[in-house]
Amino acid sequence: MTLTICPYCGTGCQIEVDYSGDHYTVHGYTRSVVNEGKLCIKGYQGLSYAGSRDRITSPMIRRGDVWTEVSWDEALDYVARRLTEIRDKYGPDSIAFQASAKCTNEENYLIQKIARMMGTNNVDHCARSCHSSTVAGLIRTLGTAAATGSIRSLKSTETFFVIGSNTTEQHPIIGTTIIRQKKAGKKLIVADPRRTKLASIADVFLQFRPGSDVALLNSMMFVILKKNLIDSEFIRTRTTDFDVFAAEIEKYPPEVTEQITGVSPDLVEKAAELYAGNRPSAILYGMGITQHIHGTENVMSVSNLALMTGNIGRYGSGIFPLRGQNNVQGSSDMGALSEFYPGYIPADSDGVERFEKIWDAKLPKNIGLMLSEMFDAAIDGRVKAIYLMGENPVITEANLSDVEKGLTNLDLFVVQDIFMTETAKFAHVILPASSALEKDGTFTNTERRIQRVVAVKDPPGDAKPDWWILSQLYSRLFHREAYRSPEEIFNEIRVAIPNYSGAKYENLYPDGKQWPINDQHPEGTEILHVDRFTRGLGRFMAIPYKPPSETPDDQYPFILTTGRNYYHWHSGTMTRRSDILERESPNPYVEISVNDAKKLSIRNGQIITVESRHGSIRLPAMVTSKIPDGIVFVPFHFKEARVNLLVGENLDPYSKIPEFKVVAVRVIA
Amino acid sequence: MIYELTEEDMWRLLQKIAEEYDVFGSKEELGEVVFSKISSFSEVSEKKSSYSPKDFLIKRSENILEIPRAEKKAVIGVKSCDLRGFYLMDLQILNKDPFYTVRRQNTLFINFVCTEMCPGGFCTSFGGPVLDDYDIQVLHIGQSYFVEADPRYERYLAGFRPASDQDVFVKHSKEFNRKYGKIELNGIEKRMKWSSKLWTEFANYCISCGACNYSCPTCYCIDVYDDETGRKKEWDSCILEGFTKTAAGNVRPDLSDRLRQRFYHKFKYYKLSKGEYLCTGCNRCVDDCPVDIDIKEVITHDYDKE
Repeated sequence: MTLTICPYCGTGCQIEVDYSGDHYTVHGYTRSVVNEGKLCIKGYQGLSYAGSRDRITSPMIRRGDVWTEVSWDEALDYVARRLTEIRDKYGPDSIAFQASAKCTNEENYLIQKIARMMGTNNVDHCARSCHSSTVAGLIRTLGTAAATGSIRSLKSTETFFVIGSNTTEQHPIIGTTIIRQKKAGKKLIVADPRRTKLASIADVFLQFRPGSDVALLNSMMFVILKKNLIDSEFIRTRTTDFDVFAAEIEKYPPEVTEQITGVSPDLVEKAAELYAGNRPSAILYGMGITQHIHGTENVMSVSNLALMTGNIGRYGSGIFPLRGQNNVQGSSDMGALSEFYPGYIPADSDGVERFEKIWDAKLPKNIGLMLSEMFDAAIDGRVKAIYLMGENPVITEANLSDVEKGLTNLDLFVVQDIFMTETAKFAHVILPASSALEKDGTFTNTERRIQRVVAVKDPPGDAKPDWWILSQLYSRLFHREAYRSPEEIFNEIRVAIPNYSGAKYENLYPDGKQWPINDQHPEGTEILHVDRFTRGLGRFMAIPYKPPSETPDDQYPFILTTGRNYYHWHSGTMTRRSDILERESPNPYVEISVNDAKKLSIRNGQIITVESRHGSIRLPAMVTSKIPDGIVFVPFHFKEARVNLLVGENLDPYSKIPEFKVVAVRVIA
Repeated sequence: MIYELTEEDMWRLLQKIAEEYDVFGSKEELGEVVFSKISSFSEVSEKKSSYSPKDFLIKRSENILEIPRAEKKAVIGVKSCDLRGFYLMDLQILNKDPFYTVRRQNTLFINFVCTEMCPGGFCTSFGGPVLDDYDIQVLHIGQSYFVEADPRYERYLAGFRPASDQDVFVKHSKEFNRKYGKIELNGIEKRMKWSSKLWTEFANYCISCGACNYSCPTCYCIDVYDDETGRKKEWDSCILEGFTKTAAGNVRPDLSDRLRQRFYHKFKYYKLSKGEYLCTGCNRCVDDCPVDIDIKEVITHDYDKE
């Protein structure tokens, strides 16, 4: 039995894996403080991808249309030489790196170190598309961009407020924590355009229109203010800028916001009373909050709500941005973000000097290109080379057609991955990497818990762990000694990131520890912001409501919202290779309401066209009462019907996250 | 014949068995009780394993284009409830499923009889921890290991000291069942109601993780599929929509229908067709359920009041 971490969502369930002859047996680790032995279907059924025959097993270089298998030395020498040539000819910012929230902390740390030592801050990853707005928002209001409590602390929560998160499908084991508490008599408020499983058992269900989050939250805060349900003592001693914020809130009586949100005032009132009155209350949110042009403002509104009611820094309360990927918290902590060095040190600040000392190198002090900007920069020739590790932007990025245009315009495109993905097909060089079951390292889950990942099996063929590949490249690029183990890299991370300084491999197993872990908190920190906020005082932000980038009109009368389903993961490279998961959800589909389907004479299962200003796809209709009239939902897993072709390039100004959640479309039977 | 063995004797017994079998046992690793190869009796944990040893007979997944070779394995430390599960499965799949059959016939289980009820367990409803059908059965009291073997395996006990009290298992069974009482099944196969609100209530919470099936020592359903490496079978879950899917979709389209099917199979269909309930009271499905759906509620629910 090998104890490691499930490679899917940010919950970070601990799994016991037995592997023999390409077959896995998986059990939940009953002593785990995270999942207490429980798993979801992806944990039980989702590991077979690692044993797939489709794995890439040898480095390859493409010459014309022909892929040639080469040795590691040849591949790495080639990549190092070409990267150096391109940097010397066009400058360091002509190179961009794409890291991966599927990879370990050690690997993400290494890739951003390579980028920066090459002289560019052009390093970013899929956190841009999921929680970059959380980082931008919570750093401004609280000072730390992470869940403020622990999964375990949710057992002490009296009221759950779940907004923009289909928790039982996307973070199932956190979702079931809520269900168990609800069964035990705790209160549950759910705000979501779709009738999710949690919505169906909620005490209050606020079925609001996509993109009207700020109006909804402001109206709840209006009620809290009017009914004097605020925590005055907390506001006085722990926060700042309340008055400006309160003046803005005055403009949002629920009777007024009803026009925007579609939610009746009495429900808003009920939700506000529960959240503010029945404490401790915890807010859990997902992509429904973050993936908007006002994503950062949504996050700051969530923060306002917690601050005004004192629902933060106390056991059972808090803000829980549910991180999507297994290691998106960690990859962000590691500084695989174009505006942050490790530990969220702003890339354009004097803080960079610290890394110049640790890495003994001159480093760039500017904000690099963000993921969504790299492809545009490739189109207009500013970026000549992209090094991509374990992402599949051809499926997952918004405004897909531009991604492909950018990738075909590169002088060098290196892909380090486990499969020949839709994206890898554009590469010049492919470096065969390892799945999470084939390497050692650490992941940091959605509650800041650093957990050990332990290899269950060897990588197939000549495939190598990502850290090894990066380390070899590092050695060739900078003529320094290669790292010998993930632990050696981790020990450097402990020096680079003070919040990780107290974490040692031997202390992280079998139980992981929550950062900050340091001399003051040798066992880690379960609850953040207990006595003071990381930034000192919690800061209120006055957030006016602005409509989403696209609103329905005569030409495009529906709102399309995108997301995932329970059985699949992102672009499907892993889950679509699992028999049971693929059986449960084999085809793309568009959810449409019973009324709308009737009006348009659409039968369940009928192939229909969904068209936006940016593109068009054809896929089967799923007629369901889960979704309200006027809204359609399409999961983004399926290469057969890439919904991101329909999503425009509208970005949140703070975090540059694309608006995946609101697209005006028409539906043609 | 019941024998009384010391700890050293148990090790000798295992060595005898090891001459013919690969020996596995329940054993603690990182605080979990798992099944793994053992090299001495002292490694064996008498605690309830964290999961049923079903994988010895029905692999989580495997290629099915060739019948597996007979590998002789002995597994010590199995709990009676888990072993009872295999005897129940036998009624349906032994001599029908060749994979199960070849492994069942070549695997020797040595079950430990519990002396205390595990949390949530309700094995007493199905006869308690002393089994009538077993391979080699062990009851550990004080310094003594009382051991009885099915005639197929009696030879391994030859030479050990016969117990002076030949009723030790019967007495223990009576005492255990009296001490812990039982949830009366009370003709559950007749009491369950098709239209009960229980099924929709369960469906409100169930997230279709499959844990109840995967943990169950009596669930034997598999899915057969082809992938790029061959034709395979793997554990399936009747809670999933794709289970028994036909050209027209699943005959049980709602989650509540599928949950009901699971309990009807356990408590009605199997009873009517095989004469036994397909449940051993091990409580594993409850232990592993992330939303605390409790199979005991199906038994205790007052259907008449609905």
